[in-house]
Amino acid sequence: MSNSKSQRQTLPSNPVERNVSMAIRPLGALLILLLVAYGWAVYSAPIDRVQGVIQKILYVHPPMAYGAYLGFVVTGIAGGLYLWRREEAWDRLAVAGAEVGVLFCTLMIVTGPIWAKGTWGRYWSWDPRLTVTLLLWFVYLAYMLLRSFSTGGERTARFAAVYGILGIVLIPLNYYIIEIFSGRSMHPENLERGSLGDGMGFPFLIGNLTLFVVFIYLLLLRWQVEALRADEVQRIQQGIGAEAG
Amino acid sequence: MGVTWAILWKDLLGEWRSRDRMIAMLLFCFLMAVVFWFALPDRHPEEWKELLPGLLWTAYVFASLLGLNRSFALELENDALAGLALTPGNRGFVFLGKAAASFVLISVVEALTAAAFGLLFGVNLIEVSLGLAGAVALATVGIASIGTLLAAMAVRSRFQELLLPILMLPALFPVLAAAVDASRATISGLPLPFEAIQLLIVVDGIYLVVGFLTFDFVLDE
Repeated sequence: MSNSKSQRQTLPSNPVERNVSMAIRPLGALLILLLVAYGWAVYSAPIDRVQGVIQKILYVHPPMAYGAYLGFVVTGIAGGLYLWRREEAWDRLAVAGAEVGVLFCTLMIVTGPIWAKGTWGRYWSWDPRLTVTLLLWFVYLAYMLLRSFSTGGERTARFAAVYGILGIVLIPLNYYIIEIFSGRSMHPENLERGSLGDGMGFPFLIGNLTLFVVFIYLLLLRWQVEALRADEVQRIQQGIGAEAG
Repeated sequence: MGVTWAILWKDLLGEWRSRDRMIAMLLFCFLMAVVFWFALPDRHPEEWKELLPGLLWTAYVFASLLGLNRSFALELENDALAGLALTPGNRGFVFLGKAAASFVLISVVEALTAAAFGLLFGVNLIEVSLGLAGAVALATVGIASIGTLLAAMAVRSRFQELLLPILMLPALFPVLAAAVDASRATISGLPLPFEAIQLLIVVDGIYLVVGFLTFDFVLDE
């Protein structure tokens, strides 16, 4: 490797990953501005007459759901790209997608019941959409366990890619089940469009935008860490090889 | 296609000669009946009829997990899995053969378990046996196909017995939702619900295609 020492520590050697890493800092700056605007928008949003202050979870919960699904789609697509092109960078993106997706999904599963307790009167109802989300969460926790239980780098990547693809196959399939059993669902259908009161549209919009940028930022950061780790492992292996030789 | 038949024949013949997998799965199901009896004490025969679809599917799912784990654990002995990977032609046909063998084995266990549960819990399943068999068979195609794909991965990881249920149960949710729905309708004397059957057929198709296409990546090069 011809990189100088300082370069090696901050930027990955893979060209795609190096370009991606360079976007992290500007994105972080943008994120600080957005977070301030988001905090202010949520604070100054009107308090719902029926539900009270708990309704403000709306500015957090649905964007978390979009992030969760986005993360899982990234994992599936990156896994497919890995199987097709056999470039390890795609496998590292898949790891990042799954981990950030699980984080968003966890926060969605935590914030949902807090709202439900205040509005429906109980934390958990076996509503089809809740059940499906819970199962999706399990799918990606299983994905992470599969990665840590598998032996060997290349095989781990292959197995994980297959399971990641299965994961995105399960998303539409689970929604098909919701369609079938939808008579039993109590999840708000068009919360985003239909039932937003005056002054709630802007905070909702900026909440979506901010958490989307948070998602991208964390995804890229996680990807960079994985890429740097791979570089480090390669460097150590080369060092051992040189010593042995 | 010849590969599929050869592997199906090999697996079934091996099972016929030892019969260890089937006996273990059956014994497990009968033990589950006893567990249910203790877990749900003092029920009327009518209540058992209500509960039976859920109890049957609980036993089926866990018995299938046992069988599927063994299906590939056997191939690890003497490195037979490497031999499977060397099979000429598309490895998707290897997948179909393994899945078909698991389907046959699990189906036999399911039929005998249903007979035993009907007898033990005093529910007459003879009149509804045709509809129930249809629903169970459709669901078992899904279980055997996705189970074969995932077992091939789980068996070569650490904690293999632990990993398969964790990988497989979330993927079984669509199958279970429809299978329990259809079984409940049949056992209470109603016609098979169209939507559940439709869902089972769609899931079976998807799992078979996913397994066929991705099995290549699950066996080592």
